[in-house]
Amino acid sequence: MGTKDASELLPGTLDLLILKTLVAGRMHGYGIAQRLKDVSEDVLQVGESSLYPALQRLLLRGWAKAEWGASENNRRARYYTLTAAGRKQLAVERQEFDRLILAIHKVLNTA
Amino acid sequence: MRQFLCRLRILRRLRQAETELAEELAFHREMKQQELEQRGVDPIEAGFAARRALGNVTLARDRAHDVWVPRWLQGLGQDGRLALRTFRATPVVSGVAILSLVLGIGANTAMFSVINALLIRSLPVAEPERLVLLSGRASPNQRWTYAIWEGVQRRAQAFKGAAAWGGVRMNLAPGGEVQPAEGLFVNGDFFTTLGVPALLGRVFSAADDVRLAGPDGPVVVISYPFWQRYFGGSFHAVGTSIRIESVPFTVIGVTPPDFFGPEVGRLFDVALPLGTEPLIRGRDTALDHRTNFWLHILLRLRRDQSSVAARDVLRAMQPDIREAAMPQASSPVDPRSWFLVNPFDLVPAARGVSELRPRYQQQVLVLLAVVGSVLLIACGNLANLLLARAAARRQELSVRLALGASTWRLARQLLTESVLLSMGGAVGGIVFAIWGSRALIAELSTPASPVFLDVSIDARVLMFTAVVTIATTVVSGTAPAWRAARMAAVNAIRPYGRAPASSRPFALSGSLLVAQIALSFVLVVVAGLLIETLARLARVSPGFDDRVVIFNVNANRVAVNRGQRPDLYQRMAQTVAALPGVAKAAASVTTPLNGSVWGGNRITVPGDSAPPGPGTALVNFVTPDWFATYGTPLVAGRDIDAHDTVGSQLVTVVNEAFARAFYPAGPALGRQVIQWPNRTTRTIVGIVGNAAYGSLREPVKPTMYVPLQQFDWSEMSLPGISLSVRSANGSPAALVHSVAAALMSVDQNLAFNIRFLQDQVGASLMQERLMAGLSGFFSLLALLLAGLGLYGVSSYAVSRRWREIGIRVALGAVPLSVVRVILSPVSVQVALGIVIGGVASLWASRFVAALLYGLQPGDPRTLAESALLLATIAALAAGLPAWRASRIDPAVVLRES
Repeated sequence: MGTKDASELLPGTLDLLILKTLVAGRMHGYGIAQRLKDVSEDVLQVGESSLYPALQRLLLRGWAKAEWGASENNRRARYYTLTAAGRKQLAVERQEFDRLILAIHKVLNTA
Repeated sequence: MRQFLCRLRILRRLRQAETELAEELAFHREMKQQELEQRGVDPIEAGFAARRALGNVTLARDRAHDVWVPRWLQGLGQDGRLALRTFRATPVVSGVAILSLVLGIGANTAMFSVINALLIRSLPVAEPERLVLLSGRASPNQRWTYAIWEGVQRRAQAFKGAAAWGGVRMNLAPGGEVQPAEGLFVNGDFFTTLGVPALLGRVFSAADDVRLAGPDGPVVVISYPFWQRYFGGSFHAVGTSIRIESVPFTVIGVTPPDFFGPEVGRLFDVALPLGTEPLIRGRDTALDHRTNFWLHILLRLRRDQSSVAARDVLRAMQPDIREAAMPQASSPVDPRSWFLVNPFDLVPAARGVSELRPRYQQQVLVLLAVVGSVLLIACGNLANLLLARAAARRQELSVRLALGASTWRLARQLLTESVLLSMGGAVGGIVFAIWGSRALIAELSTPASPVFLDVSIDARVLMFTAVVTIATTVVSGTAPAWRAARMAAVNAIRPYGRAPASSRPFALSGSLLVAQIALSFVLVVVAGLLIETLARLARVSPGFDDRVVIFNVNANRVAVNRGQRPDLYQRMAQTVAALPGVAKAAASVTTPLNGSVWGGNRITVPGDSAPPGPGTALVNFVTPDWFATYGTPLVAGRDIDAHDTVGSQLVTVVNEAFARAFYPAGPALGRQVIQWPNRTTRTIVGIVGNAAYGSLREPVKPTMYVPLQQFDWSEMSLPGISLSVRSANGSPAALVHSVAAALMSVDQNLAFNIRFLQDQVGASLMQERLMAGLSGFFSLLALLLAGLGLYGVSSYAVSRRWREIGIRVALGAVPLSVVRVILSPVSVQVALGIVIGGVASLWASRFVAALLYGLQPGDPRTLAESALLLATIAALAAGLPAWRASRIDPAVVLRES
């Protein structure tokens, strides 16, 4: 099984994945990428050119907020936290995603 | 909305967002490297690997940038920068374009802010829409007597409130030359009814408005501008005392800055309770005078009360109010014939009352049309400019089109330019308007009637400016943008200059040119008509010599009773006449062209059947030598002399117009006239030449000059008189000091203001002068703009046909024929414009017909002169480039191609 770059995912999916990842708590960009990679068992590799613009988008829409803090190795890093609006959005997008997957399944499983 | 704000924040700190992103990316790379190193990769190799793994950093940054600033907005910045660069590259052309827009938009904004203040804006009071004004045909001028006001006031609880006021010019000086203040006599609830609170101190209460003075003595509320002017804005003003007409009043409050009073066009200085009026006017008080209609009455409706319901309530009260306020039996007209009959009426009064409004309504609308046309012409220039630029950039635009730019993108680029230009014009225009509208109002003011209009820029004016600016953009930017959108990409591969020299762009700017010429022609014609009107009025002989200075004297504070006043006035005239340097001096009730006339009562001659007789006559009351003072010739009979007194035969001197009107057949001298309604019979003892009285515009009306001594003092007291003084030689200005001193020697308590007859005559033509000046200025501006436009189009034509002309010259064309080649299309356009403009001006000038004097709207001479003027300007503007074309050196042209 090969790896997938997140930009090849269904549109909007990356935002969903980031939101879901942030549910675990505040995290910096690198941490998010690592976690996505770990959880998906190396299937999902998020390129920085997708990840950081996506994070900016989340900030702009008010789904996440960012603050600078010290990282585990004592470097300055930007940490992202899910906002209440982000949590709501996660639910909405997840539902939407499930609907989509179900639809795709139906198409694939119909003879 | 939230997103928008957030984006705005990012936009403001774009640089910071970029650094933060860069730091974040660097951190990411470091973490990656660390991770690789932990896995045992060589540190240097790990560095490269981390960098590789990070992928395209620039792409990340660009995408983030796209998130921050949407694509369309990025393009806008680009367009804006490009447009600014274009402006900088052609500073003169762009400067002229912006300047003409500043003038165009500014003049429109200024005119609209005047219209807003005069015709649209509500009074600066609480809920102005609930105010109604008492009117009706029982009042000649929408004003009422004090007795009627008392009746209304007593029944005011039927409404939310009632307010009454009368405007009176007051004098702050103790004696000598008048220090004028605009005064208002108001009722106690005036300010509370209007909903105007005190900025400082308090406003009146009902207790202040009792006959003579309330518990706090005579009190006064002053306006904010007066507070600033007279007290320097000092907080100690409240509680201090000021002398008004020599009566001490205590200042109790200051009104807010935006409250100018209940009348649009006037600014009140001091407001006094109605009850204090007898303190100032003494025995002449208007409070007891039942034929003195001088008070405006406003009612504030209850929330649940319609204007119609209030009117019905009022009409039910009417018989009682009227009966109690019945004019005295001695008054000339039987009051029962009209006073009781005509019903009260209510008219909306949200905009207050205004004497200015009917006088200037037409003028300001005409001027708005004029400045609107100027702006249209400026728009035409702008459109032509942008068209020419787009044509010059044809190559560039075609290349962009060929590379895949959308036509919309190109059109937007050109629209951006016109948006930027008109926005620049709007900003400059607002500044210009703030200055311009104030200057205009200052021009309207004369010492005799100061004009105040609050022309500050409010939301409505800004909205107007915004709409005008958008319209400007659309009108001037659409044609070029549309042209760009239709550009063919194939032009990109054609060598420059080989693009088909279609006549299309020229056709478009040509029709713009025709429109500009036509519009400016209309403006020139209108201005010509108004200027000719002024010139003719200035040439009208007033029938007197204006080397006269007038002292308008108020004898209110002089301790003589009514009956002795004529003697006092006569004594004043005699004292002044004896001064060195004074040729003649005489007193009269009113002076020519000062804005007011007396009389208008019916006149008949004995033996004539009673009404309807030939009509009415104006009256003035004069002392001996009055005609000599004014240089009005005595045609027949004698002047009024010292023997014409109360006891002697009642006499009059009349003007020639009177004689012709009432005694068309025979000599009027020695005959008698009857003045209605008192049926006073007077004998005509003299006839004088016609002289202007009320206005220079109207033909001289039949006028009677009656001896001042024979004035009917029982009917009306006369607290003031005008003393006219003619200098023996030189300017009457030299006499001012000696005459003032002489008046003070007659009585210390005389108060007076000083007017020169010349200024008074000038002020009577102020409206005409203003209209002629403004329309002249704007039509010159229109001519200038049209000339610039013509010059631009013609120069452009020359530059486009440069090669062709060079070849023509090389083949032997003479300079004249080259000029003809360039000029012939232009002259067709100019001729077409003049013809269209001529027809349009015939139609448009009907709207100024009422403003004209001595000529008709379609005056052929004005039309011909305007056509000649426009043709000359056009010949100059188009001829210059043509002349330059005729001097093209064919060798240069052939070498370059």
